[in-house]
Order: sequence, then C-alpha cells, then structure tokens
Amino acid sequence: MTLIAHAIAPAPRGSLDGEGLRGRPLSWSGAGDIGLWSTHWDLADKLDRNDALEHHRLVERICASQPCLPVRFGTAFPTEDAARASLASRSAELRAALDRVAGKSELAVTLLWRESAGPGPEASLSAGPGRRFMDERRARYAARRDRKARAGDLAESLLAKLAIERALVWCETCTSEGVAVSLAVLVPSDQANRWKADLERLAGGFDGVISVVNGPWPPYSFASIEESGGSAPRPPTDSAAWPPS
Amino acid sequence: MKQLTPADASLLELVDRLLHKGVVLAGHATISVAGVDLIYLGLNVVLAAVETIEGKQERRAS
Repeated sequence: MTLIAHAIAPAPRGSLDGEGLRGRPLSWSGAGDIGLWSTHWDLADKLDRNDALEHHRLVERICASQPCLPVRFGTAFPTEDAARASLASRSAELRAALDRVAGKSELAVTLLWRESAGPGPEASLSAGPGRRFMDERRARYAARRDRKARAGDLAESLLAKLAIERALVWCETCTSEGVAVSLAVLVPSDQANRWKADLERLAGGFDGVISVVNGPWPPYSFASIEESGGSAPRPPTDSAAWPPS
Repeated sequence: MKQLTPADASLLELVDRLLHKGVVLAGHATISVAGVDLIYLGLNVVLAAVETIEGKQERRAS
C-alpha cells in the first residue's frame, strides 16, 4: 500500500484523532526519534486540488498537536519500510529542522502592485520599425529595473520595521508580474496573532502596493533541509533578488 | 495582464507553499505525482484564480 506523506514529527507520535485524505487511514511510521504522518493510498487514484487543500488541513492539525515539518505535497512512498529508510538516512538534518521550527508558525506577507506595469512611453511614429522596437524594449527593461529596485526597497523597509532576525525571514521580490514582495516570517505560535496584526499595520502603510497577510500556518518555507546536509532555511530561488543590491 | 486580487494572492501563496516548499524527501522516496498530475493541479489552481478575476471584471462591467 502506497503512503502519501504529510509531515515529519518527533517521536513519540502526538495524539491525533481523525482520518487522512479522503477519509482513509492516517498512519504513523516511526524511525528512531522521528516519524512520518501519512495517508494510505492507492496509486490508481489521482491526487487533485481538493487533496492538496486537505493535505494542508492535515498538516495544520499535525502541527497543532506537536512540532512538525510539512512534507512537499505529492511525496509518496511505496511501503512503510521505504518511508522509514528515507527518514533514517537524513534523521540528523530532520531533527535539527524540527528543533528550529518547534513552537513556531509561518506568516506570509504579499505586496501586490496597485497598478499593473504600463506599456511604457509611445515610441515616436517618425522612427523606423527597428528604432521603435529598440526604444520600446529599452523602456520595458527600464520599467522592470525600477520595479525590482522599488520592490527591494519595500522589502528592506518592512524588515527594518519588523526588526526580526534574518534567519527567520524568507523573502523574494518580483516573483510574478503582479507581485512586488513575497515574504514569510517564522514567529512564535503563541504570539502569531500579535505578529499578524503588526504585519498588517506595517505592510499596509506602503504607497503603490496592496498588502495581504496570510497565516499563521505550518512552517512550509522553513522546512527545507539542504542537499548538503545543512539545516538552515532554504535561500531564495533568485539569489540576486535578496538581499536587494 | 490581469491584476491579482488579495483573495487570489492568498490562494496562490498557499498553493505555492504546498507544491514548492516543505521537506523534499528524495532518494528512497518516490515522487509519484511530480509529473503531469501536479503540473495539471498547479495549472488548474492558476486557471481557477484567473476565472475568478475574469468573473469579477465581467460583473463590474455589467
């Protein structure tokens, strides 16, 4: 029977009632001082959008009952032994990551551009097609650079106001056309609501962007373990984006 | 380019975390749905968000 993985937690397992995905059994596979929560699954059944959101609710339940590391949705093991072997091979990193997120939750801040990027100034009609193309491209690139710089300033300003340790922050800028800043902070779970209110107040004070604060939710952005064996938070995918130059 | 609404941004931020963050257990693990199915799921959610935006714009226009 295949297992769809949800979260890694320290042993002994927390007391968790209820079912896994689609009402199927939720199981615990222990491996030394850690273990994996997963749902028994039949690979013939395709995972869909509802399963992804149900996975999120399950991870929230698990993290509410004990420290936990969310596993990326869609991870499956052919057997319990395979799941245990996978945990055992990286138990030191996983244990360190669990210690890092214990008692903490993630809050997400998204700053959306209030205005979409315009087409840029009209090129002179008297210019030839090649010149017009170059002028338009130059204007487009300049606008993109300006937005990147502005997004970096926004992120720096928000972090300065938050006065939080950088290791507890995940930040990317301009991840898509509409997004200026996507930021996650790891905060003590018992103070998450206060932090959320602070973030809403601080992020809501910027001109030109709409702020959205989500969470608290499980520490998805702080759960990665480095391939090299380290346990530090994963760096931004666009390393040039942070810190802003 | 359509403007993202706060509600769309919330959904996309969550789905981004489910699909792109969290612990990656490789090696002994089989990422069984990392291919077509998850791409389909991601597109499906993005498409759903676009549908929401378009629906709102149509309602505003009418």
